[in-house]
Amino acid sequence: MSASNDAVRELIYRSCRCLDTHDFDGYIALCAPAFRYRITVYSPELRKEMIWLNHDRDRLAALLAAVPRHLARLGSLQRNATVYTIERDGTEGPARVTSAFSVFNIDNEGRPSVFAVGHYHDTVDVGGERPLLVARNARLASRDLGIGSHVPI
Amino acid sequence: MPSRSAATWERPPPLPDGHYVSGRVYHDEQIFAEEREHIFRKVWHFVCHESEVAEAFDFRTVERADVPLLVVRGEDGHIRTFINVCSHRGARVAMEPGGNARTFTCFYHHWTYDTEGSCVSMPRPEGYDHTPIRKEDMGLREVKTDVKWGFVFVNLDDDCAPLDDFLGGALDIFDRVLPNAELEVFHYHRAEIDANWKAYQETIVDLYHEFMHVILRDTQMPAASMDDREMRTYANGHVTIAGLKADYEKYVGWGHRDDSTCFPGLEPDDARFAPLFPAQTFITRGTVMRIDTVQPVTAHKCLIESRGLGLKGESPEDRMMRIDQHNEYWGPFGRNVTEDAFAAEGCEVSFGKGAALRGIIARDEGGKGQCDSGLRGFWAEWSRRMGRPASHPTND
Ligand code: FES
Ligand SMILES: [Fe+2]
Repeated sequence: MSASNDAVRELIYRSCRCLDTHDFDGYIALCAPAFRYRITVYSPELRKEMIWLNHDRDRLAALLAAVPRHLARLGSLQRNATVYTIERDGTEGPARVTSAFSVFNIDNEGRPSVFAVGHYHDTVDVGGERPLLVARNARLASRDLGIGSHVPI
Repeated sequence: MPSRSAATWERPPPLPDGHYVSGRVYHDEQIFAEEREHIFRKVWHFVCHESEVAEAFDFRTVERADVPLLVVRGEDGHIRTFINVCSHRGARVAMEPGGNARTFTCFYHHWTYDTEGSCVSMPRPEGYDHTPIRKEDMGLREVKTDVKWGFVFVNLDDDCAPLDDFLGGALDIFDRVLPNAELEVFHYHRAEIDANWKAYQETIVDLYHEFMHVILRDTQMPAASMDDREMRTYANGHVTIAGLKADYEKYVGWGHRDDSTCFPGLEPDDARFAPLFPAQTFITRGTVMRIDTVQPVTAHKCLIESRGLGLKGESPEDRMMRIDQHNEYWGPFGRNVTEDAFAAEGCEVSFGKGAALRGIIARDEGGKGQCDSGLRGFWAEWSRRMGRPASHPTND
């Protein structure tokens, strides 16, 4: 039996929550072994597509595991996502899921500001017991990310 | 040593001028205004790489010293720069960050300019028949432009010295690379951060802050002797740093770079820095180049533009390798640049309203190791151009 659309939606939301709370093991557990993570964005300056991060599951896991060693931005990031569409080829084939996200930075004084806005374009394996992320393209619409972030979006 | 009282805290440090910087330089509004006139409107500015305007009629819009600029390659192949302001009533002419256009029509009253800056048409020109206004005299204001190894520089001062005089040989640190490589920009981002422009630029010249970066502690500091480093200062406040090495695989999750396709003349572990005055930095790390510029926005905000460059015409695999290696250190999700911006914002908190009175730049390691000679070179040039010593820039 393939995973339901509700389970797919929960996967997307869980992935956001794991990054929000720095539960990086939990995030990696949502990813299939062949997982590919990318952050992409179009540059109207260069009139070119750009890739701002490109990792397989192992390298992403290493990057996330090293986050606590770094001098990271203060406060926290909070991801708000909405699943727009879930497209399935057949019952067992991977689903293509498009979600909107906005990421807020909450600084140490509790002040919120918008960090980034864009869409997740996800490929989700729905054939197993529980759905797994096979690929995520975090596609940015905004491009000025201030000081940036050690934690992906 | 005990903590300090107000008297000892406020007393200038027992150092010569030039070995410390007054906190005023980061927040004084008069100083900020003068920087625009005495520095940013006088120096040569890197504005883009020629690959950003590769074809005839390609253009880029940028800002330098609060002046909007239009950089465009003409039909004759020459790259020219104009102030991006309409001669009629001052509207901005080209709006897009980049594109390709044979002419630029101002949105407001449709005066139209060609890629050589001539005003080629104005609607209903007979309305000016009773005045001396003729389209032939209404071209865009051209700005001095020169191209060095594919880097496009402009200068808003028509009386400036030539670009090569300004550079004074500082870019020659790349002379094994750049004359032999055709480069292409693959990464561009801009970021406004809450810091005075100098606080960010200082992070590039300051080698002592290597300790702040995990990746530099892991990969750079153990890779070569501090004595192998060579920090040089040049006329006009430029600095170069060579002799840095990196063992990239020492950072968990990163790979060897030994098999990587390097820039010509560079080894995979070879890092070279050229922070040019006032705030434009060229860096190579074996396989990839980064160029940063910093523009003042207010005394408390600056705009960082950051580019990554690879080799033109390289294979998709090599380009992807270069993008990945660029992103390891740099870009908004890089392990390094984010921390430098954090540092600049962290100093703004204390310098921005005057709580921090001074910064000490007195380390002397003879241009090796983590010497402050580069910072002193930067501040000496700042002091010269501003006519104010950075250690006590105001009379009080
Ligand atoms: S302001 Fe440009 S045409 Fe009038
Ligand atoms: Fe740094």
